[in-house]
Amino acid sequence: MSSAATLRLAFTENRIANFGLIAIIAAWWLWSQNLPEFVLPGPVTVGRRMAELAVDPTFLRHLALSLARIAVALTVAMLLGAALALLPFYRPGSRYVVERVNLPFFNSFPSIGWVLLATIWFGVSETTVIFIQVAILLPFCLINVAEGVRVLDAEALELGHSFTRRRTRVFFRIVMPSLVPFFVGALRISYGVAWKIALLAELFGARDGVGYVMLQAQIAADSTTVLATCFFIVLLFVLGDRLVIQALATRFGEART
Amino acid sequence: MKRAVGRGALASQLPNRALFWQCVFLLGFGLCWILAAKNMPVYIIPGPRAVALDILQFVTTPALRSSALASLFHVCIAVFLAFVLGGVLASIAERFPIFRALIHHRISPFFNAFSGIGWALLAVLWFGVSQLTVVFTVAVVLLPFSLINIREGLASLDRETLEMARSFSQRPLRTARLVLVPLLLPFLIAALRISFGVGWKVALTAELLAGDRGLGYVMNIAMQEQDTTRVIAISLIIVVFVRVVDKYGFERIQRKLSTAFRSA
Repeated sequence: MSSAATLRLAFTENRIANFGLIAIIAAWWLWSQNLPEFVLPGPVTVGRRMAELAVDPTFLRHLALSLARIAVALTVAMLLGAALALLPFYRPGSRYVVERVNLPFFNSFPSIGWVLLATIWFGVSETTVIFIQVAILLPFCLINVAEGVRVLDAEALELGHSFTRRRTRVFFRIVMPSLVPFFVGALRISYGVAWKIALLAELFGARDGVGYVMLQAQIAADSTTVLATCFFIVLLFVLGDRLVIQALATRFGEART
Repeated sequence: MKRAVGRGALASQLPNRALFWQCVFLLGFGLCWILAAKNMPVYIIPGPRAVALDILQFVTTPALRSSALASLFHVCIAVFLAFVLGGVLASIAERFPIFRALIHHRISPFFNAFSGIGWALLAVLWFGVSQLTVVFTVAVVLLPFSLINIREGLASLDRETLEMARSFSQRPLRTARLVLVPLLLPFLIAALRISFGVGWKVALTAELLAGDRGLGYVMNIAMQEQDTTRVIAISLIIVVFVRVVDKYGFERIQRKLSTAFRSA
């Protein structure tokens, strides 16, 4: 295919994608005409509610709170995941326990199990929300960083060891820099998951945050707010991914497993 | 050139040390659990014995057994629906490239970013508390997983092989059966494998919020009765079941497929 034809195809593709999107929204609007608002509100109603929420200080406070919790949980999960991933590097015998016992356990433990246990253990509190998020995010961080540890360049490490006997120095000069792309990859995956489970955690473990707002709206059969909040989260997710994580990926490189 | 880290490679030569670590970990974990259970009320941390006995209940009590089967049913139907829908969407994008951007750059990221809880809460408003709500929620959450995996499979297809197949036979069904499906199979299995693992987690949540049967529903009742033993028992059942199906089901099939292709 010539380059002009490829360009034309890409152009048509894009146009169809945008038209398709408009068509889907139009279909939504048509469908919502015949249904009561508490079942399916139309796109205009949802859009208006989104605009109202965007300037509502109470909602913004909830949103900021959720965001702060996600940030804390991501940090803790990354640190714990990295520590667990590095353990086999310094104590090779522990590899089996970390990668074949701990990882599958955390990976297949149902999220709702963590939610209920944390609510029973810590009641309704910040600890509950953070604990749930960390427990669910941990395997995602661990998998990626462990992969980074596995492909560490042995020659570079050997070179490092021949220059210095201080392990901390080798760690900060060689191990850490080689792992950064894997951290970025882990961050991207975990960030996406974090938004979804933040809602779940706040639904049960908090009296504030976006998850709580959504639950209240659902109890009041307020579909408009539920949908508006969902779209807000989609928007925030995309923004965070494009602005923060993409920037990190461009700066440090990204490796995903 | 990169090679495996020396220390890591050592691990395979030191099975004793791995065994030692494993024993230390399991013993430590078991001891911590027993000690914690001794000093805490049962509704906070039940002992291993109580949990094990409760797990046995799921084998012996018909009502609990049928809840587990209901969850399995929800997951299987939802995985199937997501798989078919994802397959159809991916095929449309592949067959008619003008729809590629719409499907892969608009629809897929949207479903990927939309929260599962959001779907569950909306589905309750739409379909009430029912099996349909649960299956719908799980299927919608799984859709992007199937779509992305099947897309990868279609993208990796060897055009030359397909062309050769078409030149050997005019019957599209025959080329599909003998060439297309075998080439796609590893990706289809991968899509099913991921969906099955994620599906269980979503199904439990959906059943808890919106179901009238299934393990999530049992968990909901257990939570209201502060029956921590049952919550842990169900979680462990899921861990073991998902691991066993993954290791002895999907992993085996994938290994068989890869050796079949290598010998071919």
